[in-house]
Amino acid sequence: MSAETMKRPARVLIGMLGLDQHEVGAIAVAGMLMEAGMEVIYTGRFNTPDSLVNAALSEDVDVIGISVHSWEYIDYLPELQVKLNEAELDVPLMIGGSILTPDDRNNLQKSGIAATFPAGAGRDEIIQTVERLARVN
Amino acid sequence: MTDATELKSRSGIPLNPWYGADGDEAPGQFPFTRGRLGSERGGGSWIQRELSGEGDPAASNAQIRYLISKGQMGIDVIGDSPTMGMLDPDHPLAVNAIGTQGVSLCCKQDYLELFDGLPLEKISVSSSVQPVFALAGYVLAARHAGLAAEKLRGSVLQAPFYGEDCGYAIHMPFDLRLRLSTDAMEFCAKELPRFHSYVEDTYFFAESGLDAVDEMALGFYEIRHITRKLLSRGVPIDSFAPRIAILINCSMDFFEEVAKIRATRRLFAKMMRDEFGATDPRSQSVVITSHTSGLTLTSQQPTNNIVRGTLQALSLVLGGVQALEISAFDEGFRTPSREAHLVGLRTQQILQLESGVTKVADPLGGSHYVEALTDEMENRIHERLKEIEAIGSPSQLSEHGWFAEVFQRAMADHQRRIDTGEQAMIGVNCHTIPEDEDTMLKEIVETKIEPVRERIGKIQALRANRDQEQTLARLRAVRGAAANPDDNLLPRVIDALNADATTGEISGAMRLAHGAPWDPYNRVEALI
Repeated sequence: MSAETMKRPARVLIGMLGLDQHEVGAIAVAGMLMEAGMEVIYTGRFNTPDSLVNAALSEDVDVIGISVHSWEYIDYLPELQVKLNEAELDVPLMIGGSILTPDDRNNLQKSGIAATFPAGAGRDEIIQTVERLARVN
Repeated sequence: MTDATELKSRSGIPLNPWYGADGDEAPGQFPFTRGRLGSERGGGSWIQRELSGEGDPAASNAQIRYLISKGQMGIDVIGDSPTMGMLDPDHPLAVNAIGTQGVSLCCKQDYLELFDGLPLEKISVSSSVQPVFALAGYVLAARHAGLAAEKLRGSVLQAPFYGEDCGYAIHMPFDLRLRLSTDAMEFCAKELPRFHSYVEDTYFFAESGLDAVDEMALGFYEIRHITRKLLSRGVPIDSFAPRIAILINCSMDFFEEVAKIRATRRLFAKMMRDEFGATDPRSQSVVITSHTSGLTLTSQQPTNNIVRGTLQALSLVLGGVQALEISAFDEGFRTPSREAHLVGLRTQQILQLESGVTKVADPLGGSHYVEALTDEMENRIHERLKEIEAIGSPSQLSEHGWFAEVFQRAMADHQRRIDTGEQAMIGVNCHTIPEDEDTMLKEIVETKIEPVRERIGKIQALRANRDQEQTLARLRAVRGAAANPDDNLLPRVIDALNADATTGEISGAMRLAHGAPWDPYNRVEALI
């Protein structure tokens, strides 16, 4: 990686899936990433795997972060992973939300999700993880 | 204070129903700081309920029966996210969310199944489902059970200004949202005199992290506007004001929450009497119902949430609320499990029956601290309300995103206070334990509710088998009423639901009349 690409701020897509409505976490994470100097493409609520893949393609993002407050992600995530592969987008996925239990996080990590954040994940932990994932990509 | 009661402390000390010096404001006396009408007879009880609703209507009916069998006095039902967003289960975006975070309700048959066999004449039915459908479905279920509408007790939650910005989006323009609230109030004033058609729901928007002053200022901003609107339609103040209630949040500042409740009763009484000319004491003494805060609960060490719920419930009881729900200890992870339901209900029963805190009305009244805090809370809510009213009209503030900004700022502030440790949160920013030690009650949160996708076929069969001509005619009538501000939407919605039109279709018909798309997500074609 050249010094110049290192300088470009990480571009992070933050969004939610389906009818998952509680947006507190998504807004908070988007805010902290922007404060840390990253570029956030905020797609808000009511996304589908298709709309997220399209946004990721057109915005050339380094990382996709999904905030979850309902169990809809359990069904949507495998579909999102398939569609990212079909679009040949090798972008790491991270999932965060207070509903994630220890079992959920284990399952997500086994299924190829790059990072998971439970309730109370600290600001520094989130920012450092996103920076690491964006750099690897 | 001369009521001949046998109230005694545990050691046999005789107790008065309330305490105060001569000339002090008594409970039940204007401006009702110390308790609403009737509370001069002592602290008494409150309607105890826990939030319910999951799966299909039959599963939720079983859940409600369980809670009633354990001593619950009222019910509160919340819909799943499609229901709360006015979408049918066969909407493409609903597929993974059917029945997982509440009950799936979209047609008349669903409401009949939800209320099937419940003692509606004895219990109070509070609904967190979108009010127009909650009300229409309840009226049809009661009619089916042979109960007269004028006997129905219960309530629906309203927050027409703010729902779109921090609740479940229904994608309706401001005027239509306001209309749905005022129409419900006007309809109930005539048809359901015992029903609380307007519960100002400050709970849900305070969950964005607002402080108590902003919570109540925004609540009063809405109540005041709605009241003016109804008066301008010629509805007499004393016909609807007694049916206004407020559902408040209860956060983690014990005495401030007590002061908030006392100040709210006082502000409401003064507003109704002095500004709107209400003369009926029932119009002046507002019913306050309450939920303990979900935002203060943690996913870490969830057992601690039982303690948080107990403390918050205690401040609500000491403040003198009329109904109470304790957010379940597993709320961080899921809709309430059966175990969490029972703990919430038992907490209320312990407060009511064992703790002795209900013997005397307004037991904190007269405390220098609580009285000073009540006065200051009243002043600050009043000042903030004036400030917001000076900024603009509700439609301007809504359309320019002012409310959305207030809520987003509150969310960010809340997060910052936790991150910096300014607000202590046990298990999150202090007194944490490693994840592998955090096991108590954790097995409960690992069970999940599967989406009830059978509902999709069921609703498609309903569409195929109904009298389509009649359904379409009723939907057109809804659209017509929505376009005519002099009409009332409630009877039309009840007729349409009765003709097997669905939530998604009826809300679509209303949107069309206001120039909005039938389906806000552009996935479903309009039927009319």
